[in-house]
Amino acid sequence: MPTAAALRLEIEHALERKFPAALTPAPRAIYEVAATGIRAVDELLHGGLPVGAISELTGATSSGRTSLALQFVAQRTAEARVCAWVDVSDAFDPESAAANGVRLKQLLWMRCREDAGKTAGRWRAKPLWTRLDQGLRATDLLLQAGGFAAIVLDLGDMAPEQASRIPLATWFRYRQAAERTQCSLVVVGTRGYAQSAAAVLLECSARNAEPAGGTVLCSFEFAVRRERERQAPIEITTRKPPAATWQANAAWDQEKRA
Amino acid sequence: MSLFACAWAAEFPAQALLRLRTDWQTEPVVVLDGRAPEEWVCSLNRLAERRGAAAGMTRLEAESIQGLRLLKRSAESEAAARAVMLECAAKFSPRIEEVCGAGLNEAGTPGAGGGTACAFVLDIAGTERLFGPPAQLAERLKEELAAAGFRAAVAVSANFDTARMKAASMRGVAVIAEGAEAEALEKLPIAALGLDEEYAATFALWGIGTLGELAALPEAELVARMGPKARMWRALGRGEAEHTFEPIGAEFALEEFCEFETPVEQIDSLLFVGARMIDCLATRVAGRALALRSLTAEMGLEGGGTHCGAIRPAVPTIDRKFLLKLLQLEIGAHPPQAAVVRLTLRAEAGAQSKVQLGLFAPQTPEPSRLDVTLARLRAMVGDERVGSPVLEDTHRADGFRIEGFTANCGKEAEMEATPRMALRRVRPARSVRVTVRAAKPTVFRDQENLYEIAAAYGPWRTSGCWWTLEAWDAEEWDVLAAMSGGRSVACLLSCDRKRNVWRLEAFYD
Repeated sequence: MPTAAALRLEIEHALERKFPAALTPAPRAIYEVAATGIRAVDELLHGGLPVGAISELTGATSSGRTSLALQFVAQRTAEARVCAWVDVSDAFDPESAAANGVRLKQLLWMRCREDAGKTAGRWRAKPLWTRLDQGLRATDLLLQAGGFAAIVLDLGDMAPEQASRIPLATWFRYRQAAERTQCSLVVVGTRGYAQSAAAVLLECSARNAEPAGGTVLCSFEFAVRRERERQAPIEITTRKPPAATWQANAAWDQEKRA
Repeated sequence: MSLFACAWAAEFPAQALLRLRTDWQTEPVVVLDGRAPEEWVCSLNRLAERRGAAAGMTRLEAESIQGLRLLKRSAESEAAARAVMLECAAKFSPRIEEVCGAGLNEAGTPGAGGGTACAFVLDIAGTERLFGPPAQLAERLKEELAAAGFRAAVAVSANFDTARMKAASMRGVAVIAEGAEAEALEKLPIAALGLDEEYAATFALWGIGTLGELAALPEAELVARMGPKARMWRALGRGEAEHTFEPIGAEFALEEFCEFETPVEQIDSLLFVGARMIDCLATRVAGRALALRSLTAEMGLEGGGTHCGAIRPAVPTIDRKFLLKLLQLEIGAHPPQAAVVRLTLRAEAGAQSKVQLGLFAPQTPEPSRLDVTLARLRAMVGDERVGSPVLEDTHRADGFRIEGFTANCGKEAEMEATPRMALRRVRPARSVRVTVRAAKPTVFRDQENLYEIAAAYGPWRTSGCWWTLEAWDAEEWDVLAAMSGGRSVACLLSCDRKRNVWRLEAFYD
């Protein structure tokens, strides 16, 4: 009686002309990932956010997307790498970043402004740049420069109808540049903008806020749902996309415990 | 055995002006000295000479020649050019003497009624092992000067004055063998001695027109008729004059200067000259195995005043394109308020750095590319909005400053990277109208939304700097609120206790 392996070989041999290696699973490339530092999210993402690809953290205000991005940057800077934060809405809070463990010396913070290029004259005849234009241009420059382990493009406060107008070609260009320079481009936004150019799309939401003694905000609980993970290993699909929850404590909570 | 090399740059005022202006080098140019309306041609290039221009012409005469470019003599340009020429010469010998009557006084500025050449005599005795035979050294010296933008004649002789007079009267390179000095000088006009008019007239009356004829005269009879100075003249003509060498110190000042004929209003025009200046500075500094650590551009503006811009690469470099790009971005980010009439570039030298990268070290941005990227970002949003944040030692909200970003990841204290509640700041803080009940905010509204507060935690009072104008006294509330659309947010409200003004400071995210 022929064994399963022998049968497989026989079938493959018979179909060789039409389907080479018909029953042998194709080898999968191993993609590098970088941990976010939040165990539940890392498990959800099979190790972390991808290196050399675009990841999107989406959600409404107070959904935990900024905390998640800060945690990821903190992990990257802890490995003696440098990161950049392109702050389109000028909303980055250095104190929160430091509390999350980001090494600020290794972080390049670029704050977009409302009136860039206004001093046009005979020495500089440039058009005015909107905040979004500045952010996109800065991201482009930083990706092309190379050497940054992670770049966060913070579109968190941008109106979706405005950010949705970013051409898909721009995102594809970013994806190629990120792949070339092995940089993790993290886009923080209200919803996904990069579409098929994004390797990972996480939807963040707030679960509840926990007060201590009814007088002080002690922690927030956030939920993360994986909407897309392009480079994930094949697994049996479930009806609901996998989700995870995680908690962010107040900065003073650590001091209290210490 | 003594050996001297003389580098003689004739028509120095014109050369100093044309050295950095490559676009003018193919045009006939004359340089005018003196004050209007009594200006006169003091120097000119060969193309102008071919057109019929000559030294001593008035402005009117010069203007009557078609296609002639008239430039004004610039003492600063000549001083800067002299320093560059001296530095070129210093590469071949540490003992250099500036030749008297070269048109420049000791301070390096054109002397009153001085000549129009710049010349240095180098003591090159014992340099054969370094630079080869004298002919080879002379060629290399000429090439070095040509690279710096000078057309110079180089003469080598065992006699100081022979080298000087020969270089002044020729073009190209001449090496005079020892003992052949008289032969080399015999055809030179007697004017090479720089005689007073009275003596020159006497020699002319005698029919003595060349140094060879002067050298052939009997010494005793000549001294008897012309006085003791004649002994010196005769010795000069025979190539036997003795000279006590007086070396000068070659100062290493990295500075280039250019004055524009017409005010420059375009950045491209300014950088056209700036590129040549950076090129010269980089060549000079590379000759000493150094690199440029910083570059300062001082621009003289039309109507008075100056404008300065400085660039400081992360790593000292001699990459001309890179430095030019940084300068372009710096001027683009901080443009002068008026047209530029003169440009001075000053540089600081630094050791050429070599970065040893570790095989297992994390990848960081390349310093030069990072410099250009940062300069581009600064040009786009301003200096104060690009860099690394540094927290200030204060309890004031949003207390930080921005410092320059460098990709050097030094060892830092271990920090615990655990998830913390993060804020998204609203800059500037948004004014809101708050309804307070039972000493707690219950509803607030900004210009767009109405927020029903579900829970408010506070107040957290903070104050400081009461002794300065920047004093603050506020109370903060952490609130959980529901927006009019049904969405919930967590935010930070603050109330200025002095003015009783409420602001939305940040959102928790």
